[in-house]
Amino acid sequence: MSENKTDDVSEQILNAVKKNSKGISATDMAAEVPDLPSAELVGAINKLLQQGYLDIYKQDGALIYKIKNQLSKQVVKGADNEEKVVYNLIEEAANKGIWIREIRNQSNLTNPQLTKILKNLESKKLIKAVKCVNASKKKVYMLYNLEPDRSISGGAWYQDQDFESEFVDILNRQCLRFLHQRADKIKNNPRGPIVGRTQSYATAIEVQKYITDLGISKVKLEVEDVVTILNTLIYDGKAESTVYPDGSRVYRAIESLIPPPGLVQVPCGICPLIHKCSSTGLITPQDCKYMNEWLEQ
Amino acid sequence: MSHQLGRLVAQILQRYCGEIVEKVGNDLFMYGSKPIAMIVKSTGLPRTQVIESLRTLMKFDLAMFEATGPHVDYRLLPENVLLLIRYPRYLLQMKSKYGTEAELIIEELLQQATCSATLLLVTIANKYKDDKDKNLTIVTLKDTFISLATAAYIQQAPVAEIKEGSEIPNLVQVATIVPDLDTRALMQAMANPVDIKDNIYWKVNYDRFHQDFRDDIMIKAMTRRIDDTAGEVMRLLLQQMYLSSAAWAEESNAIPVTDLRESSRLTDKILLHHHLEHYLKVMEENGAGFIRRAGDAGGGQYCVQAKVAAKLLVEDVLDHVVTERLGSKAARIFRLIRAKKYVEEEDIQKNAMLPNKECKQLTYKLLEEHFISVQPMRKSQQVSGTQKGIYLYHVKLFEAVHVCREMCYASLHNLSRARRQLVSEHGRALDKQRRVRTIVHGMRMRSETEESINDVLETLTPPEVNLLAQVEKQLKQLSTAELELDRNLFILNWYLHYP
Ligand code: SF4
Repeated sequence: MSENKTDDVSEQILNAVKKNSKGISATDMAAEVPDLPSAELVGAINKLLQQGYLDIYKQDGALIYKIKNQLSKQVVKGADNEEKVVYNLIEEAANKGIWIREIRNQSNLTNPQLTKILKNLESKKLIKAVKCVNASKKKVYMLYNLEPDRSISGGAWYQDQDFESEFVDILNRQCLRFLHQRADKIKNNPRGPIVGRTQSYATAIEVQKYITDLGISKVKLEVEDVVTILNTLIYDGKAESTVYPDGSRVYRAIESLIPPPGLVQVPCGICPLIHKCSSTGLITPQDCKYMNEWLEQ
Repeated sequence: MSHQLGRLVAQILQRYCGEIVEKVGNDLFMYGSKPIAMIVKSTGLPRTQVIESLRTLMKFDLAMFEATGPHVDYRLLPENVLLLIRYPRYLLQMKSKYGTEAELIIEELLQQATCSATLLLVTIANKYKDDKDKNLTIVTLKDTFISLATAAYIQQAPVAEIKEGSEIPNLVQVATIVPDLDTRALMQAMANPVDIKDNIYWKVNYDRFHQDFRDDIMIKAMTRRIDDTAGEVMRLLLQQMYLSSAAWAEESNAIPVTDLRESSRLTDKILLHHHLEHYLKVMEENGAGFIRRAGDAGGGQYCVQAKVAAKLLVEDVLDHVVTERLGSKAARIFRLIRAKKYVEEEDIQKNAMLPNKECKQLTYKLLEEHFISVQPMRKSQQVSGTQKGIYLYHVKLFEAVHVCREMCYASLHNLSRARRQLVSEHGRALDKQRRVRTIVHGMRMRSETEESINDVLETLTPPEVNLLAQVEKQLKQLSTAELELDRNLFILNWYLHYP
C-alpha cells in the first residue's frame, strides 16, 4: 500500500517536471503536489534522483529539477562501465559534439575499444556522428536526439552538411530586390538628399521581415543570418552599409561607379585564351571564331 | 614596356603611318634608343627612308631625340602613339563643347601636328569655302581659335633653338600667349596663302583634353551613385578645383562652400540651391570618397580626392573585368579579399557564402589570372612537413591594374588586326565603292541629271551593296569598341600615373 502511494507521488512529480521542460524549482514542485508533506516529497524526489529519473541543477542559486533523459536510463541499464563513461562524455558535450580523439584522451580507452563502443552506441541509436561543416573530415559525436549547434551544422545554410548555395543565391537576390525597391528614393528627392538617403536605407530587421513574409525559407532566419546575406551583397558591390549614430547598421543598394568598361565589351576581354593568343600559331586574331561571331551579330 | 604594348604600337603605326614607319618604330621600341646608323642596319631600310620615317614620327611627337655631345639617339614615345586612336574622342569633345568650328580647327591641327595660326585658319576657311551647310566665316574661326587658346586646348609648340657651335637644336617650351589675330590680315592671307609670314606655331594640348575626360568620368560616377544633382555638384567642385590647385593634384586644395554656392547660382537646378550643404554631406558619406570635408572655416570646406577616385574607379573596372571573365561569384571573392586586405582561405569561404569547392576553385582561378596574390606564412621557424602553412590572399592593386592594362593592349591589337583583315579581304569592293562615291559627288557638284547619277550608282551590284553595308557596320563596330577600350585604358593610366 505504501509502495503504491509512493508510486503515485512519483508519477505526480514526474508529470510536473515533464510539463516544465526547462526545469522546475522545489517550491513550484510543492505547489504541484499540494497534499503531500514536504518530508515525503523530499523523500520521493531523492528516490527518483537515485533511480535516475530526475536530474538536479543549480540555477541562480536555487535548485531546479529536470527530467533526465530517458535514453540515459536505457544505456545505464544494459551497458558496461566503459560504455557509460563514453556515453557521459558525449552527453556532456551536448549539441556541440565531441571529437573522437577527445573522447579517447578523456576516457583513457584504447582505440579499438573505443571504436567498438561508439559503433555499439550508434547502432542502438543512442548517439550519432555528425560531420562538421568547417572541417569536412572531422566527425563529432552527440546524442541521437540532439539538433547540432550552428557552428557544427553551419546553421540555416546547411542541409545534411551540404551547403545550400541555391538557397543562398535566392536570398541574395531577394534581399537585393528589397533594397532596390527603395534605392531610388535618394534620386532627386524633393525633400533633399539626406531625407532621400534615409528613405533608401533598410535595416537588417526590415529585410528579415520581408524575407520571412515572402515565405521562401523553410527554416527560420535569424537577423544575423540576414546580415550574412546582406554582407554578400556588399561583397557583390551591389550594396553599401553605414552605421547610424545609434549604432544600428543600415543597407542601401548602389550602382557601380562606371558602366561596363571597354574591355568587357569586346570578345578578347572575356576570352579565356587571351594569354595564349598571338600573331602566329594556333590562336590568332586573324581567324578567331569569337571575333567573327561578335562581328556578325 | 611590354610585349603586348609593342604589338599594339606596331599595329597602330602601321595603320596611321604605313609599313616603313612601322618598321622603324618597332625597331626603336625594341631597343629603347638608338642612332640612325643603327636603325638603318637593323631594319635594312635605305637611310633616306629611315630619316623620312623619323621625321614623321618626330613631327607627330611620337618619337624624340636625345643628344649627348655630337651623338644623337632616337627614342619612341609609345604613350603618344596610343593617343592616335584617341583622336576621334578629342574631336567629339570639341564638337559638343565648342561646336563645329572648334572641331575643324582641332582636326586640322591634329593632322598638321604643328601649324601657325594664320595658315591653319586660312586652310580651313579655304577648304570649306563652298560648303554651304557649315557656313564658316573667317571671323568665327578666329574667335573660336582664340577661345580654344584661352581655354588651353591648344598651346604654342616648343621652339627649336640652336646653340652656337652645335648643329643639334634644342627644343624649348614657351609660355602660350593668346594671340591677337587681325581679321583683315587673315582675309588677305586667304586670297594668297603662299606668303603667310606667321611664325608662331601651335599644337594641340592633349593634357587639357584629358582633364576634361577625367572630370567627365567623375561626374558620371557621382550621377550613377547618387543622382544628377550630385553630378552637378561634382562639376562645380571640379571647376573650383582648377582655380586653386594643380590639375592633376592627388588632392585639391580646400574649396569653401561659399564659393560653391556662388557658382551654383548659375545653374538652374532648384534642388541644388536648396540643398547644397546636404548634397555635399551625402557625397562625402556615400559618394565613395570622391570628396572629403577639409574643415569648417567659412561654412565648411571640401577637397576633391582625385587619387582616391582613381583608385575606386580602377577597382570598379577590375570588378567588372573579373565578373565578366570568371563570373559574379569570383568577383565577390575578389572584392572580399580586397576589403579584408589579407585573408585566409577559410575566411573567404565563410564570408562569401559559397560552397567550399567552388570557392577554392574560383580563388585559384583568380590567382592564376594574377588578379590576386598569395603570401605564405609559417607559424613557427622550424620547417616541418606535417605543419600546415597559412596562406594569406590579398590584392596587389598595382599589379592587377597592370594585368588589366596588358589585356587592354592585347584586345586593342586584336581589334586592329581584325580590322586590317576585314579591309584587306574586301579591299576591292571598298575601293570600288570609294570610286563610285567620288564620281557621284563630282556629278552632283556639276549638277548632272539624277538619271546618269543612278547609272553610276548601279555599277555596284545589289550583292555588293549588301556586302559593303555589312562591312561598314563591322568597321563601325570595331571603331566603337576601340574607343571604349581607350576609355578603359584612360582610367587605368590615370590611376597608374599617381606615384
Ligand atoms: S582574338 Fe580571339 S582568341 Fe585572341 S584574345 Fe581575342 S577573342 Fe581570344
